[in-house]
Amino acid sequence: MSYARRALAVAWKDLAVERRSKETLNALVFFSLLLLFVFQFTLGGDRERLAAVLPGVLWLGFVLSALLALGRTFLVEREHDCWEGLLLAPGDKSAIYLGKLAGNLALMLVVEALVLGLFVVFFDIDLGRALPGLLVVVALGTLGLASVGTLFAAMTANVRARELLFPVLLLPVQVPILLATVKATEALLLGEPLGAVAHWVKLLVAADTVYLVVSLLTFDVVLEG
Amino acid sequence: MPDNWGFVAAAYGLTAAVLLWYWRRLAKKERELERVNAGSETTVAERSREPSKTGHPRPEPSPRTPLQ
Amino acid sequence: MVRVLGWLVMAFAVAPREVTQGNVQRIMYVHVPLILASYLAFGVLAVASLVYLVRRDPGADRLAHASGEVGVMFVGLGIATGSIWGKPTWGTWWTWDARLTSVAILFVMYLGYLLLRGTIEDPERAARYCAVLGIVAALDVPLVHFSVYWWRTLHQPPSLMKPGGFAGSSSILWPLLVNLVAFALLYAYLVARRVRLLRAEAEATA
Repeated sequence: MSYARRALAVAWKDLAVERRSKETLNALVFFSLLLLFVFQFTLGGDRERLAAVLPGVLWLGFVLSALLALGRTFLVEREHDCWEGLLLAPGDKSAIYLGKLAGNLALMLVVEALVLGLFVVFFDIDLGRALPGLLVVVALGTLGLASVGTLFAAMTANVRARELLFPVLLLPVQVPILLATVKATEALLLGEPLGAVAHWVKLLVAADTVYLVVSLLTFDVVLEG
Repeated sequence: MPDNWGFVAAAYGLTAAVLLWYWRRLAKKERELERVNAGSETTVAERSREPSKTGHPRPEPSPRTPLQ
Repeated sequence: MVRVLGWLVMAFAVAPREVTQGNVQRIMYVHVPLILASYLAFGVLAVASLVYLVRRDPGADRLAHASGEVGVMFVGLGIATGSIWGKPTWGTWWTWDARLTSVAILFVMYLGYLLLRGTIEDPERAARYCAVLGIVAALDVPLVHFSVYWWRTLHQPPSLMKPGGFAGSSSILWPLLVNLVAFALLYAYLVARRVRLLRAEAEATA
């Protein structure tokens, strides 16, 4: 089986499992809804304050959902005793990484679209001209989160205190992504063009490149045993 | 500017205390290890002097834990 | 011989103390060397991690492990002493300026490294995973640096807080340099001793 076929097979399997059980998707949707309500309760009264913190709150929602989704990347393999199957898979294991990454990206983007939609509705945001730029930033940020997140998920899949260790390892490393996306979103929502935040976009591209390359190169090492 | 010697003492003191703690922790672990080695040296020496029964080279105890 | 060096190091660290701008500035003589020595530690950790992944040499893994421990200890102390210095001079224990934020992120990242080590029982797997994490962390450092720096300086007045910006007065420079060397030597001594202990532990359980 060629490399691309193997990667696609992994992604397709994960998405098929998800489509049938909808476990993760449902949990994430309800979780996002809950976040929305909490934000409304704490900040909803003061419109100006809310508008000021909205970019951060939006990405907080994205990141928390990402932690949940990414943390479960290898849950199926672990719970159904398929971990050894992964280890014994022939050929370049980075194909498995790409497959998992694709699956994670699809899941995360769906949830983010949902969260964004809910925010627009419940907090009465006018996306208008900001939307294309916002889509670029969200896509780049999600890729950054998912790329390292999938690698770290594999690393923490079989250790004690996995639920604790995964976010502890991921969040500090993701600070550049968090900073860049929040600041860029903030500027975009204030009506600035994408060019005004070019430096943040370049940082996101650089970060994504580094994370992807390193993860592809080291995934084999993580799946050695 | 006021002297704030208290702060200076706190900073230097904290540094010295933590470094000293680490140094002593290393020393304690080294002592423990020496005790363990001294204790098991006799048994290891006895076992290696006995000739192997089957004539095959004696296998090394595996340092790796089984695959989880 | 290494032990004598260690004692010499500690003596030097205490000795240089001349300062003219308010005695609180003396904290700088431990704060700055601690931070810089921790950078050295994390650099060594990065290189050792790479060497381990390529050569699978357990000595490289032990060096990374020891360097991580000493590095986290030094940077933690650096942050603490910086905070203690900050309270009387800036009036606050903490501020989110670029440098402090970056160092805090560094501290948490490498603390995670130690946590990962502590959580994995199989030494070979721990070595492999920590090497990967070490490399990811090292590559992340410039990204963190730039993102935090831009966050603090673009569209925002630059931070006025600079711990006693000295105009290169030599009476301050020399003790600082001596202490820098002293802490670098202290780092080397502690790491060497820790590596020795790690190797002995590995041999004892083999």
